[in-house]
Amino acid sequence: MKLLEMKDVKKSFGDLQVLKGIDLSVEQGEVVAIIGPSGGGKSTLLRCATTLETIDSGFISIGGDTLVSTPAGSDKAHYADKHQMTEIRSKFGLVFQNFNLFPHFSVRRNITEALVSVHKKSKEEANSICDELLAKMGLSEKGDSYPCNLSGGQQQRVSIARALATNPEILFFDEPTSALDPELTAGVLKVIRDLAEEKMTMVIVTHEMSFARDVADRIIFMDGGVIVEQGPASEVINNPKNDRTKEFLAGY
Amino acid sequence: MERYISTITQLAAGFKFTLIIFAFTILFSIPLGLLVAKLRMSKFKVISGITRVYISIMRGTPLMLQLLLVYFLPNMLFGIALRDLNFGGVDYRLTATVIGFSLNYAAYFAEIFRGGIQSIPKGQYEAAQILGFTNTQTFFKIVLPQVIKNVLPAVTNEVITLVKDTSLAQVLSVTEMFTAAKALSSAQVSIMPLIAAGVFYYVMNGLVEIVMNRFEKSMNYYH
Repeated sequence: MKLLEMKDVKKSFGDLQVLKGIDLSVEQGEVVAIIGPSGGGKSTLLRCATTLETIDSGFISIGGDTLVSTPAGSDKAHYADKHQMTEIRSKFGLVFQNFNLFPHFSVRRNITEALVSVHKKSKEEANSICDELLAKMGLSEKGDSYPCNLSGGQQQRVSIARALATNPEILFFDEPTSALDPELTAGVLKVIRDLAEEKMTMVIVTHEMSFARDVADRIIFMDGGVIVEQGPASEVINNPKNDRTKEFLAGY
Repeated sequence: MERYISTITQLAAGFKFTLIIFAFTILFSIPLGLLVAKLRMSKFKVISGITRVYISIMRGTPLMLQLLLVYFLPNMLFGIALRDLNFGGVDYRLTATVIGFSLNYAAYFAEIFRGGIQSIPKGQYEAAQILGFTNTQTFFKIVLPQVIKNVLPAVTNEVITLVKDTSLAQVLSVTEMFTAAKALSSAQVSIMPLIAAGVFYYVMNGLVEIVMNRFEKSMNYYH
């Protein structure tokens, strides 16, 4: 089953076309890594898929529900209504580059607040989900801490736990380790690796090439608003076919 | 000795009105300021434009003049006899004072709140959106608590200024403390009642500082 499907997605900021017709689909259980130079459209692609940006035209569905489509003969994208959007947003999670934890909430409340006030779960239920996730992230002791008292790596693991709490079908990562030093990066990558082993469907924008090769089933190389090359992870990293891909990877 | 006691008693009687003006202005101007801040940030140019003019006038003209205008406007516009005007048995002079102060302070609070709201990183809104919070939930659960922490020092400034500004109510002949002090001062041909009034203001602001400091400290658990 396709958990993410994008067809001919186009997006401009003013005169600058950032996505020039992207086709991408992600199967259940698949881990897709998106690599490429800055300004190539990776983050915009992720932000469009997660409703943080609206596209100009094209089609996107998540978990089988149509988020946006462009009627034949029209060049204007038509989005799902508010109610459907809420439904679609509950199907995915997003982990940000700079965490975006809520600083005034404890770690526990960061993870449980949406469960309680959006998904109407009881406090007990939310707490037990939270305990389970914190254990998985190796942060069992940190439930009562506040984000400002945690290292960057711990904060990012809390934000992964927060994204997982609502039990999403697909998880997006926007450069999850770019704000971390190498030592802290390892802990976060381990968590993502564990999720991959559990067959969590994930789309990861990353600059960590060796990690992408190890953990991803498929790698997508984006540049200039288009998908330049894609294929099985080891193939794209070890044997890139496109000259632009070769040039980019030579820098690593 | 008797004179001192009588002075203090009369000042205290005036202080009651000072407190009333202070308390009701805080009560009305803070929520109103939040609303004005929201309108000022509205996407609709007409709404934000009107709000901008409102704030500009409130900040750009003397509060004393604004108090006089609020007081005389019902008569100027509708020919209502001000002597007969009272709401809930309260003299219109006091009501007009509270309205004038609230409108004026709302403008200042609005700009403070706007600064506070705009200082919240976009990522907070995005995280809340992804997690499914409604706009109202996002504002009250995520944004507002952080805004309050950010704006507290500036709000404390305004509150302290308000304590002293209450003396402007004398322009509408509300016998708040400063009016009483002035009357006592000329009757006794002495500056002591005015100095005593100064002590009252200073002590009250000392209390304001203590309360606001506690409030600030209570939010120091994160940064």
